[in-house]
Parts: sequence; C-alpha cells; structure tokens
Amino acid sequence: MKIKRIGTYVWLMFVFSILFSCVEEQDFNQYDDLSITPTYEASVLYLEVPESTINDLPAPDTYSREFEFEAFSETVFADRVLEGVLTYYVENTTSKPLELEIRFLDATGNVLATEVFELDPEPSAEVIRETYYGPYGEDIDIIRNISSISVTATNNGDNVSTSSQDNPMVTLKSSGAFTVSIK
Amino acid sequence: MVKKAVVITIFCIGLFMHAQNKQLLYDFTEVPQALMINPGMETDFSWYAGIPLLSGISVQAGSSGITVNDIFANDGLDINDKVRDRLIYGMATRDEVSSTDQVEIFSGGFRGKDPSVFYSFGLYNEVDAIVYWFKDYAILGYEGNADRLNERFDLSDLVTRGEMLNVFHFGINKRMNKDLTLGARGKIYSSILDFNTVDNDGYFVTTEGENNVYASTLDADLELRTSGVNALERASDDDNVAATLIKRGLFGGNLGLGVDLGFTYYLNGQTVVTGSLLDLGFIYHANDVENYTLEGNATIEGVEVILPDALDDPDQDFWQDLVDEVEEFIPFENDTKAYVTFRPTKLYGSIRYNFGEPMQGSAVCDCDYQNANSASSAVKYRNSIGGQLYMINRPRGPQSALTAFYQRRFGNFMALKATYTVDKFTFTNLGLGATFQAGAFNFYLMADNLLAYRNIADSHYSSFQIGLNIISWGEK
Repeated sequence: MKIKRIGTYVWLMFVFSILFSCVEEQDFNQYDDLSITPTYEASVLYLEVPESTINDLPAPDTYSREFEFEAFSETVFADRVLEGVLTYYVENTTSKPLELEIRFLDATGNVLATEVFELDPEPSAEVIRETYYGPYGEDIDIIRNISSISVTATNNGDNVSTSSQDNPMVTLKSSGAFTVSIK
Repeated sequence: MVKKAVVITIFCIGLFMHAQNKQLLYDFTEVPQALMINPGMETDFSWYAGIPLLSGISVQAGSSGITVNDIFANDGLDINDKVRDRLIYGMATRDEVSSTDQVEIFSGGFRGKDPSVFYSFGLYNEVDAIVYWFKDYAILGYEGNADRLNERFDLSDLVTRGEMLNVFHFGINKRMNKDLTLGARGKIYSSILDFNTVDNDGYFVTTEGENNVYASTLDADLELRTSGVNALERASDDDNVAATLIKRGLFGGNLGLGVDLGFTYYLNGQTVVTGSLLDLGFIYHANDVENYTLEGNATIEGVEVILPDALDDPDQDFWQDLVDEVEEFIPFENDTKAYVTFRPTKLYGSIRYNFGEPMQGSAVCDCDYQNANSASSAVKYRNSIGGQLYMINRPRGPQSALTAFYQRRFGNFMALKATYTVDKFTFTNLGLGATFQAGAFNFYLMADNLLAYRNIADSHYSSFQIGLNIISWGEK
C-alpha cells in the first residue's frame, strides 16, 4: 500500500507539473511593433575625365553618355526603400570651367531628376552636395524608378590650356545611403 | 532555391532541435530503452517488446541564448530595444537553437540460448538539427553597413545542420563476468533529408574607396549541401509527402553505417562505472543531392566611367559590366556531387554508488536477480547515487553536460531517478524520471528542467521521454 501511495504521489507530481506549469503573460502582438529598418551605403557612380581628354573632345566640347543603372529599380530594393541620401563629391583640377550634369531617367526615358555642377577652373574647392529623398526631401519614387543615368560634361573654357597641377582632371564621386524596411 | 530555403527554414525553426542528453534514461536499468544509450548496460529482462510507436518518444528543445519570454514578455519595454539588446547583440555565435526528436517505430529484445547474452533490435525515426546564432548576418540585416567603415561582417557565422532519418539497429549485450558487461549495437541509417552548411568562411566589408567614396568587398567561401530536399519539395507539390518520407526512410534515400559501444564495470560490490559511445558512424549522400556554393572575391566601387577608355566603346553597358564582373569573381554555382556526413557522436560516462537495503530483482523467481542462469551477478540495492558525463560532437566543437543523480527503487513496482544537470543551456536543470511496472506492462515518463515550468516561456531547455513496453523477466 505504501508503495502504491508513493506511485500515486509521483503521478500527481508529473500531472501537476504539466497542468499547473506557469507561463508569465506574453504579448505576441508586440511583433506588430517590431521595426527592422537597416541602412545600407555604397558607392554609386564614379566619373573621371582627364584634361587631355577634354582638350581632345570635338566640338561642341561635350561628352555625354547614357547607361543603364538598375540597382535602385530592382524589386528587392524598390519595394522596401524608405528614405536615403545621394552624396556627390566633385573636384575640378583642370584649367577650365566645366559643367557636369547628371540626369536620372526612368524606363521610358523620362527625366526624373537632374543634378548640375558648375565648376570653376583650378584652383577650386571640392564641391560636396547631398540630396535627400524620402519624407524630408525629394520624392523617394525618383530613386525607385531610376532605370538609367545620363552623364554630360561640358567644357566652358578653351581646348588648349593645361593646368599646373599634377594629373589634372575632373572627377565625380558619389555614394548612396538608403534605409530599407525589412519588417 | 527560395522554396528550398523556406523548406529548410521551416524545418529548423519549427522543430528547434538539439541532440538530446538523456541523462534521466541513462543507466536506468529498469527501462529497456536505456539500452539505446548504453548497449553495455546491465540487463535482467528475459525479453521485452515495445508497443509500436509508443515504446520510446523523446523530445527536446533548447535555446542557449534567449527565450520566448526575453522578447515577448508583457513587460512594457519596447520590443525593438529587446530584439536589439537581447537577440541581435545579446547572443554570441556559440549560442544555439537546437533539438532532437526520436520516435521508436518498433523495438524488442530477447535473451539468447546463452543466458549471459541479450539481443535487442528495432527501428526509430530521428530528427536532429542545430542552428548557431549567425550574429554578423543578423547585424548586417538589422542595422546595415552604414557608418561601419572597415568593420568586417564574418560570413563564417553561418553554421547549421539538420537531418531526418530512420535508424535500423541490432544490439548484443553480453555479461562477460560478474564485474563486466559489454555491449555493441550496429546501425543502418536511412537518411530521408539532410542539409548542412558548416565550413563557411569569408567576410563582407565596406572600406574607403580607391577611386570612389566606398569600396564594397565580398570575400566568400560558402557552401550549402542538401540531400532529399528536392524530393520532399517535389512531393509537396504533388501532395505526396507521406509516401516520400516512408520510401526514403526505408532505404529509398541515402544510407550509412554506424555503431554504438558500451560497458558496465563493477569496481567493487557497490560501485559501478559505465560508459558508452553512440552513433560512431557516417551517411553517404548520393541520392537526390544538390549543393550550392558561393566562392570568390570581388570589390566594387559602383559604376565607373573613366575616360578616355570609355570612349573606345560607345555602346559599353557599364551597369551590366559591373554585374558580370561580380558574377565572374564570385560565381554562385550548384552541383550534385555526393558527400559524406558524420553522425553527431555522443559520449556518456557515469559512476554510481549503490547503497541501502539489498533487494530482490525484478525477476519474479527465487533466482539470481541479474541473470537468471548465472551465479555470478551483483546484488541490486534500493538506492544509487552518482554522477554522469555527457558529450556530443557539434559543428562548433564538443558540448558537454554534467549530471548528479539519485535513484530509488520501490520493490518491483516502481523506480525513480532524480537528476541535477549543468550544461550550456541552464545551471538549474532538475529532472525526474519514473518507471512503473504493472504486471508485464512497463511505463516510463521522464522530464527535466522542471524548475522552468514556473514560467515555461522563459525556459532555455526542456525535454521529456515517455514509453510503454511489455517486459518479461522469465518464468516464476
């Protein structure tokens, strides 16, 4: 009888452990409040034009090029991007005034946005420009719909002068930092 | 590939697996299933038969770094803070979510003509997987790479493996003399499903660019090996999953061989040491194999238009050139090469001191307890106390657990075992196991980490074993 009573106690302990195990109050609705919005940054476009090439450009002293750029229109990015900034660093060490124009085009060739840089001849400071997209800047749809980029460099000076600086050229560096919504 | 990833992810997350430390069942000589974790265990059964599908069910779930309660407790804290502090940055790469589930499909055992020899056999299904915390991937996914110049995201953080298989086994247990019992069990593994990615290497880093603002570098040496995943994916599409599982589990998948070894040795009349080495084996995967690799190194600084070179080809597609360059230097490839996996080998050891009133064994006869036909057997005591060691080979190195136990036998009706275990999951793991004998029917139930039942959502670890057998100790 004693053994059976012990067995009964053990059974009850197991049963009570399972039936009366506690779970502190959990709020799984918190998942709805979870926000995962990482920010990624990388270089976007680099343009380099030496002064010798500028001097060799045929009239009307303009170099223009349009090329595909689908990094931003890829669904995985376009559907998730919330906001971001494009940063440009433009430097002119040539002896002539130049104009750089960057146009963002959609898939049908429509111009979405244009960035123009008027550059003085050397010696001149590096031009830094930040363009914001999203709630507090330009329309983020501009970024979402970029399908190609057009770059135009225009020489507003002569075709013979040479800068006194080493390896004179005009360069455009650019980077993008964009926040995307994962959740 | 995406569907495959979903299948694997569900497999991992849904089961939350870890190779199970059965510290309660180990050396619990009243339960036949204890032979599965020490084939050299002392046996005194004449024969036993497991009730099909009910003789041995064991489930375990473990998470060494975080609990459900850590994230979802209704504590008024912002879930975003909890996820960032406790999950993303709170867990280390050695933290894991893991488990093992086993279900015996059938099992049995019988004593041979030589009464010192006991044979056992059976078939069980096992699902086992482990996912280590992929910390750098998580940081990159949660916060991105912005403002993290020169910080390397380590691609070797991705370590996971999992498998589903059936195991056919046959074991021999022989009492060599009054002090020593040896045992061995041969196993044939029939793998249903396997995936593993364990030897990854590489990094992703953003640095100051040579020409442009930033340089993004990916140095990758990643590999995912799978077998059976495609078959299950096709079966899912055809609504034929059950038949595919059965077919692959009955030698229709990939096969392997393994062995378990074990012993029991009496240092003196009351002190016993035991040990076992389990799943020393491999599986050769050649059927329905698909492997994926991403290997190479590439650094990009965005689209580069450099004159006068760019003037040479007015139709040059700079963007496509960039994409092609990355794909050339870091090709994503797949193949169907066969591969070998080694089973997660387990090691058990124990020392036990028996004391208290000597008792008659379970055999319902006036014969020797340990072996009905042997005059050289040890006396069984009502109480036992001792310690156990458990180790398992895991992708990031061995894991171990230490257990102290007390065992009490109540006649032939019942035996209890209480354990305290320390491992990477918890330092407060108290467990209790019981086996009950009613006539020929044997029922056992074991559960550990009982303190966690105070708030099971805050538990790092939980496991139980349950089973039903018919046991005979011989004629009266």
